[in-house]
Amino acid sequence: MIRYFINIITGAWSLIIGLMVTFKNTLRRGVTIQYPTQKLPMTDRFRGLVDLRAEKCIKCYQCAKICPTGCLSITHKETPEKKKELVTFKYNMELCCFCGFCDQICPTQAIYMSKIYEIATYDHEKLRIDLLDSEKYSEWLNPNVK
Amino acid sequence: MISVLTFIIMIIVGATVLGFIAVSAMFLIWWERKVSAHIQTRYGPMRVGWHGVLQSVADVVKLLLKEDIMPAGVDKWIWWFAPFFAVVPSVMVFVCVPFGNIFGITLIPADLNIGILYILAITSVCILGIFMAGWGSNNKYSLLGAMRSAAQMISYEIPLILSIITVVMFAGSLSMQKIVEAQSKLWFIFQPNLAIAFLIYLISALAETNRVPFDIPEAESELVAGFHTEYSGMKFAMFFLGEYTNLFIVSAIAATLFLGGWQGPFLPPVVWFLIKTYGIITLMMWFRWTFARVRVDQLMGFSWKVLTPISFANLAVAGWALLK
Repeated sequence: MIRYFINIITGAWSLIIGLMVTFKNTLRRGVTIQYPTQKLPMTDRFRGLVDLRAEKCIKCYQCAKICPTGCLSITHKETPEKKKELVTFKYNMELCCFCGFCDQICPTQAIYMSKIYEIATYDHEKLRIDLLDSEKYSEWLNPNVK
Repeated sequence: MISVLTFIIMIIVGATVLGFIAVSAMFLIWWERKVSAHIQTRYGPMRVGWHGVLQSVADVVKLLLKEDIMPAGVDKWIWWFAPFFAVVPSVMVFVCVPFGNIFGITLIPADLNIGILYILAITSVCILGIFMAGWGSNNKYSLLGAMRSAAQMISYEIPLILSIITVVMFAGSLSMQKIVEAQSKLWFIFQPNLAIAFLIYLISALAETNRVPFDIPEAESELVAGFHTEYSGMKFAMFFLGEYTNLFIVSAIAATLFLGGWQGPFLPPVVWFLIKTYGIITLMMWFRWTFARVRVDQLMGFSWKVLTPISFANLAVAGWALLK
C-alpha cells in the first residue's frame, strides 16, 4: 500500500521535472534562421562562386590550366608599353565543380572563391559569366532583383 | 409572432456559436503550433500574417479545396457520416457553456437545470463518431485506433464523472450558472477535496480528448493516424474541428466547475472566462509537448488502479466533510 502511494508521488514529481524542462526551453530564443530575410554568414573556407580581382591578375594562366573541368577561358593582349592586359576572363559556372584549385594555385590571390551560394537561375546564359564585368553578381547578391 | 422571434433568436445564437467554434478552432491550431515551436526553441509559423496568425486560415482554405478521396472498400454510409457524428455533439455541448454576461445579456444559449448532466451525456456520443470512422474505413490501423479510443473513453469517463459529482455535491446544483454562482466567495479549486477532483478531472479530460500523453487512438508511430487515416479534405477538417472544439469544451468545463467560471475582478466576465479556458488549454498543450505517450496497458491500469480508487475515496471524504 505504501509502495502504491510512493509510486504515485515519485511519478508526479518526475512529470513536474519534465514540465520545468520544457518551460525553460520556452523562455529560450528560437534557433531558427528566417532564411530569405535572415542569413547566416558563410564560413571562411566556404567555396562559393569564383570571383576575380582583375588588378592583381598577372595573366599566368595557371588557373585555366589547373581547372579540372576547363571552365575558365582567358585571353589577353599586350599594350604598347609592353604590359599585359586582360581582354576576356570567361567563367562557365555550368561546368564549375567548386573544387577551389584556381584559388589555391593563383600566385597573387587574384582569383578566389566568393561567399555567394544562392546561384540558381532560370537561364543558361546567366551561368556563363564574364568575370571582368563589375555587375556580374548583382542579381545573386541582391535577392530583391527579379 | 413569438415563435418567429424565437426562431430568429435561435438562428442568431446558433450562428454565433458556430462562428465562435470555427474561429476558436483556427486560433487553437495556430496557438498549438506556436506553443510547440517555442517549447522546441523554434518560431513556428511566421510568414502568413503577423507571426503567422493567418496560417490556419490558409490551411482551412487548402483543406476545403482538396479532393475528397473515398478509398475503395469503405463502408460507405458509416464512413460518410462519421465526421458529422464527431463534430455535432461537440457543437451541441455549447448549449450549456456559460460565457458570462455582456451588457446585461447572459451569454448562455440555454441554462438547463441539468446542465452538467446534459454535457456529460452529449460528450459520450463523440466516441460514436470515432468508432464509426474506424469501422467504416475498413483498415486495420483505423479499427485498432477506434477500439483503443472506445476502451479509453469508457475507462476515463468514470473518474471524470466522479470528480464532477464532487463539484455537484458542493454546489448543490447541476445547472452550470448555479455552479458558477456557488463559487462567488471561493473558487472550488482552493478547497482540498475539489483540488484533488480538479487534478483527476484534468487527467481524465486529457484522455477524453485523445491528447498526449493519452493519444493512443491516433498514435502516429504505431497506427499511422488512427481513426482518421483514410480521411482527407473536408472530412479530415471536420475531425480536426471536432478535436479542437472538444479541447475547448473540456477546458471550459474545468474553468466553470473549478476556477469560478466567468467570475473575476476588473475585467468583463467574458474575458475572464476566455482567459481561464485558454489558460487550461495552454496547460494541456504544455503537457502534450512534454510527456511521452503511455502504453495501452499503462493507460488502462492508471485509470482503473489509480484514478478510479482515488476519486471514490475523494468522493467519500467530500461526502463526510459535507455531512459533518
